[in-house]
Amino acid sequence: MRIVVLMKPVPDTAAGGERLTAEMRLDRAAVPAVVNANDEYALEAAIKLTEAGDGEITVLAMAPSNAPETMRKALAMGAHRGVLVTDSSLEGSDTLSTARVLAAALETLEYDLVFAGADTSDGGAGVVGPGVAALLGLPLLSYAAKIEPDETAGQVRVRRISPTGFDVLEAPMPALVVCTQALGEPRYPSLKGIMAARSKEIVTRSLADLDLGGQAVGGAASGTKVLESTPPPPRAATRVVREPADVAADQVVAFLAERRII
Amino acid sequence: MLFGPFEHVPAYPLVFPLFYGAAVIFALVMARHLRVFAVAGPSTVSGNIPARLWGVVEYALIQTRMFKDPRAALMHWGIFWGFVLLTVGTANAVTGGFIQAVLSWPLDSLLWTAVSALQNVVTVIVLVAIGYAFFRRLVTRPARLTYTTDALVILALIGGVVATELLAQAFEFARYGDQPGAFVASALAVPFRSILRPGGVETGFISLWWAHIALVALFLVYLPYSKHLHIVTSFFNIYFRKLAPRGELPSMDLEREDATFGLKTLQDLGWKDLLDGFTCTECGRCQAACPAWATGKPLNPKTFIMGIRDMAADAEEGVPLIPNSPSVRETYGLTDGVRPELLARPIVDTAIPFDAVWDCVTCGACVEACPVLIEHVDKIVGLRRNLVLDESRFPQEMAGAMRNMEGVGNPWGQPRSTRTDWTRGLPFEVPTVASLAADGRLDEIEVLYWVGCAAAFDERNRRVARAFATCLNAAGVRFAILGQEESCTGDPARRMGNDYLYQILASGNVETLNRYGMNERTIVTACPHCFNVIGNEYGQLGGSFEVVHHSVYLDRLLTSGRLRIGEDGAVAGKVTYHDPCYLTRYNGIESAPRDALAAVPGLQLEEMERHGRNTFCCGAGGGRMWMEETRGTRINQERTRQALATGAETVAVACPFCMVMLKDGLADAGRGPGTEDPVSIADIAELLAESAIPAEGGRRLSVLQ
Repeated sequence: MRIVVLMKPVPDTAAGGERLTAEMRLDRAAVPAVVNANDEYALEAAIKLTEAGDGEITVLAMAPSNAPETMRKALAMGAHRGVLVTDSSLEGSDTLSTARVLAAALETLEYDLVFAGADTSDGGAGVVGPGVAALLGLPLLSYAAKIEPDETAGQVRVRRISPTGFDVLEAPMPALVVCTQALGEPRYPSLKGIMAARSKEIVTRSLADLDLGGQAVGGAASGTKVLESTPPPPRAATRVVREPADVAADQVVAFLAERRII
Repeated sequence: MLFGPFEHVPAYPLVFPLFYGAAVIFALVMARHLRVFAVAGPSTVSGNIPARLWGVVEYALIQTRMFKDPRAALMHWGIFWGFVLLTVGTANAVTGGFIQAVLSWPLDSLLWTAVSALQNVVTVIVLVAIGYAFFRRLVTRPARLTYTTDALVILALIGGVVATELLAQAFEFARYGDQPGAFVASALAVPFRSILRPGGVETGFISLWWAHIALVALFLVYLPYSKHLHIVTSFFNIYFRKLAPRGELPSMDLEREDATFGLKTLQDLGWKDLLDGFTCTECGRCQAACPAWATGKPLNPKTFIMGIRDMAADAEEGVPLIPNSPSVRETYGLTDGVRPELLARPIVDTAIPFDAVWDCVTCGACVEACPVLIEHVDKIVGLRRNLVLDESRFPQEMAGAMRNMEGVGNPWGQPRSTRTDWTRGLPFEVPTVASLAADGRLDEIEVLYWVGCAAAFDERNRRVARAFATCLNAAGVRFAILGQEESCTGDPARRMGNDYLYQILASGNVETLNRYGMNERTIVTACPHCFNVIGNEYGQLGGSFEVVHHSVYLDRLLTSGRLRIGEDGAVAGKVTYHDPCYLTRYNGIESAPRDALAAVPGLQLEEMERHGRNTFCCGAGGGRMWMEETRGTRINQERTRQALATGAETVAVACPFCMVMLKDGLADAGRGPGTEDPVSIADIAELLAESAIPAEGGRRLSVLQ
């Protein structure tokens, strides 16, 4: 079982202070980078599928050249190798550009499944995974809560969360699965994992190494532009219920019901 | 005459094969125990021989720690010292009267007469004590004891050894006449002499005398298999005890490739850890002191140590008592060694359940309670180290706290930029070390206030930081903070078992502190965990700092008159003070916080039953602040109950974790703010700040809004 997990280094949301540069691009120097949280869930799902038998997990990222530092964290969790596409001309890429680059990079790899996180904490578009599937003509299985590949049959079965319950989807492999947090909490890397990650391979590729088939990518080719960015307004006064649990529960329910939240 | 004192004992020389044969068996079984010790890891035992020897006197001979339970202690003292004195008689019997010959020489046998009299007295004492011990085990049955046949066998053996010796003497006197000194035996001899026929008396004497020797031999053979082995091992365990500060966990070299991190199997333990196991007497004082056990959790420090001993004893399976000769070993392919598969068993889930490893609050109450100085906490953290660093197997909630410490340098997961938010609105400036250094004013700093994450980020504890800063300001102390350059000290990570993360955080802090020359200044902190780790543990990473807890610092300011308290301040009323484990038990600071509290006008201190070094944890130590408490009842609720039992109107604390836990406990007990009969909670600094007289030109800040 060969699984490629798409991964993006994002600013650590806990650190706060996320901001844009004058060119309306993410200021990556302002905040330390971490593995995008939803990608960690996808990676965890991949590790669970491969740790029992033999399998190989490749982490694929399109990111600035300092990304290996963050990618090592994914390798420490249990991925086997990393592939990083980095090129200064990719700065300012929009989601379509990103999907094109990742798809071109996937063409150079062998895989049975591609896992993507639901979305990223910085961009939040949630379309790169589906975009890659579309560009490569892979079956797209989204909102996965359970993933069951059957290597002998060459099929993958996914339990997909739907508004009314869940669907069971099946598709031939290779396929692309968009993972959800229902797949299980990402593991905390052991020190053994951290030490092993130090010597794992991370292959770096530039745009020249990829066959993009003439598609335009990068900041200049991006069809979307960030025009304005405003921080969210400070949180309004919070209401704190300080009653004993039984009374408090009623008050909370009433509060939510009043606003038609439940 | 050869063997004169035993002229009436038929076949007396048979004593020698019987006793010395038993002694050889004893030695062989002990040697087999040591074979397992030999495959265990090394234990660091530093020098300081005088301190070690004094410890043996204090803990093994005077047995100071036993006297926390006076009745059990008196019983034990009676049996121990009685047994020691009676051994003189046994030694005499197995040396053909050598002891008697030596002791009879000076002062015309007066010394031997005195010894005989004393022996008779202690025999009675031992028998009474043994009777009481049986009564406890069979009738009153205290919860902390472990009820085994072994314990009853040992009591019966001791009682038998002592009783047969005394009775044999009485029968001997009845038959052959009294000897000077042994007055109890003489008194007992009177009825025997009058009731029994001389032949019966003689038979009684012979059978009792030999029964005594047989029981002594049996005792020797049985002892190495019994918990009673502590009469041998406790001296060594006390001598080899940990002399490093109690709050200093063993250091870890993480760069050793292919090593097992932490403790997984018996082989990862040091030999001293196995000695701990063979020293445990199952008295259960640790169990009785343990807050996790008290609240119905699976952790029992006693059964953990017993489990280690049992694993070590099990590992001896197949090791012959008498080693085979090299030729026999070669012929039959025997190793005679401890079988590797018996050493490879993991300690977790054999000696201690997985859940119990995480129930520990590292409060050290077990270590404090143990009369023979067994170290429980270091071993539990060692197991955690293995589970975290090797196996990544731990309660899910911990991952969040560890990621936060890793990412933003604090377990709360708050941005670094908000670290100084607590200073907003204070009527004086709280400068950062960096800003003073930039202005070349670093020399002005009298103390560095190490704020700690709790005081920087937790809403309630921010008020404590404000109060403490107010006290410093009122006393005219020039202080500074590190601000955004401060990181979690790493204490929670270390006690959760993540020494890797601890070392990253701690070495970062050591570097920052040294960069500003804070190794030549005083650091003050209101957090006992920061206090312990900076003072006791940063040395392992090359940091040497003088750190003072704020309760001590405030007490000094009060004593020197720099911090003055106005009599017009708020009247505090009845206050109970909760000793933080890492301040009092680990670092022995008991009187300073109380002295500081005494300065508060109208304060009347009501002690809880468990205070000082016997304090009861709030439930948040050992990283448990960031874990769910799903098993048993809540430790903070139990401690709150104890605090409320004093009838205090205010619970005073000196630790940010205790503050959070007991504040929640009061709320859960329906005594929180806004309730009918509220009990308030305040840090020592808050109580002082309320009535501190501000420095010239300053104003008093109302901190307890």
